[in-house]
Amino acid sequence: MKLATKNLTKRFLGLVAVNNVSFSMEEGEILGIIGPNGAGKTTFINLVSGIIMPSDGKIEFKGKDITSMPAHERARLGIARTYQLIHPLENLTLIQNIMVGSIFARGHNLKEARKRAEELCSELGLQNVERDTSHLTILEIKKMEIARALANEPEVLFLDELMAGLNADETKELIAMVQKLAKERKVAIGVVEHVMGVIRELTHRVIVMEAGEIIAEGKYEDVSKDPRVIEAYLGGAA
Amino acid sequence: MKRNMSKLFSLIFGILAVALPFFAGDYPLQVGRNIMMYMALAITWDMLLRSGQVSFGIAGLFGLGAYASILGVIHGGMPSWVSIVFAAIFAGLVAFIIGFLILRLRAMYFSIVTLALGEIFRIIVQNLHEFTGGPEGIVMQGVIFGGNANRLYWLTLAGLGIALGGSYWFENSKVHFALTAIRNNEISAQSSGVNIFRWLLLAFVVTSAIQGLLGGIFVQSYGFATPDTVFTTDFMLLPIAMALLGGIYSTTGPIFGALLLGIVSEWLKLKIPYGHLVVYGIMIIIVILFMPRGLRQLLRQGLKTTNGRSA
Repeated sequence: MKLATKNLTKRFLGLVAVNNVSFSMEEGEILGIIGPNGAGKTTFINLVSGIIMPSDGKIEFKGKDITSMPAHERARLGIARTYQLIHPLENLTLIQNIMVGSIFARGHNLKEARKRAEELCSELGLQNVERDTSHLTILEIKKMEIARALANEPEVLFLDELMAGLNADETKELIAMVQKLAKERKVAIGVVEHVMGVIRELTHRVIVMEAGEIIAEGKYEDVSKDPRVIEAYLGGAA
Repeated sequence: MKRNMSKLFSLIFGILAVALPFFAGDYPLQVGRNIMMYMALAITWDMLLRSGQVSFGIAGLFGLGAYASILGVIHGGMPSWVSIVFAAIFAGLVAFIIGFLILRLRAMYFSIVTLALGEIFRIIVQNLHEFTGGPEGIVMQGVIFGGNANRLYWLTLAGLGIALGGSYWFENSKVHFALTAIRNNEISAQSSGVNIFRWLLLAFVVTSAIQGLLGGIFVQSYGFATPDTVFTTDFMLLPIAMALLGGIYSTTGPIFGALLLGIVSEWLKLKIPYGHLVVYGIMIIIVILFMPRGLRQLLRQGLKTTNGRSA
């Protein structure tokens, strides 16, 4: 087991954003995390990556309790993520953006970090790496965000709405890329997506969240037929 | 090509700066010392700014270094140059300790607290009559190098060299990546493994130590310190103005800004005493409104268009 949570809970004043969530991820597994807006998916990723601290419950990474470990240490341990709103680092070129994780999460020197970032770029198909980041296409920005996360050389990777804003071909390209990562690098990948086609094609297993709780878990084909899931999405109209 | 050009320019500037005493009289040397002092402070202010933290504490740490140095000589019997090193260590140490308290703060909260710190240092110095001479200040016997104008100039130049060296290090090492990542987005910086507090502390301690060192050089050059002369807001506002004018987040920006503002203000001082402050204010307003990235950006764009390149 790479990553697991036990009864993870986050309360914001009166609101329970994540409620009693227990889950686990295995090596090479692609796990879909779905649910309606406000279900707590991003909050859950924030908890696991250490951006916010839980009110209750436990987080374990390869059997080690990391519940109170700060985010930068989790990054070094092997947990990486992308963000819904991607902001390239201004004043740094494309390749320098990608070097950051290599330098600080892995402790490589600048030369080594550059070499590894170049390898990542060619693997992901990013060209002209000495460019300023202000004129990247959406696809390039998404790839850069993946490369930034991969620079940590993670064992667990969360992709938060990575495919949003991409067209069908681009989406296909990234799906293949993510599958390759899980297979070849043995990374456990958690995917938050709203497009069910992506979830169906990409994931081995999904968990469905609603109002901070996991309401269903299993293969996409089974979960999508679950009446509770349909109700959560359609608000009981179905 | 561009790199070689800037190397050549730096070399020429460097040689000119070192050789100035051989062909300039006492007045230009004095002006040069002033400009270099402000330039060095402007560079240290910018160095911390690269992490996104706007400090108003430059004058406070400068003054702290100045007093550490002069008191080191008077009460500690230190040789002048030892007291200058001591000033740097002392300011760095104070920054290290208060860094633990204030580097949790961000944006204007950080800025205001650094402003208050300078004031606290000044009030402490003013009230320790026995030890610091109180509001009247304190005088030491003689100045470093017997007041030799050339050597005093070179001493200040050395201080500037240390600030430049620090800035070069910040720009060309991991520090650059850490501070830029922090300035852009602290959350994503953490996700890339950046220990935000540690890098902010490093930047704060290094810049404070250099500010303290400059205070030491200043006080050893003049042989006296009063709270009003070393904690003056001039040592905070002018360097900030210079960095803004020249262009922030770089070493060259503060250099251009300090040269321009320093020379213009010297000239204006002769034409309209105190009027130079008004002109300062107007220049800063114009820069912020019309070229927020400073002269450096303007020069860069100029170079690009003359080279006929667009990217």
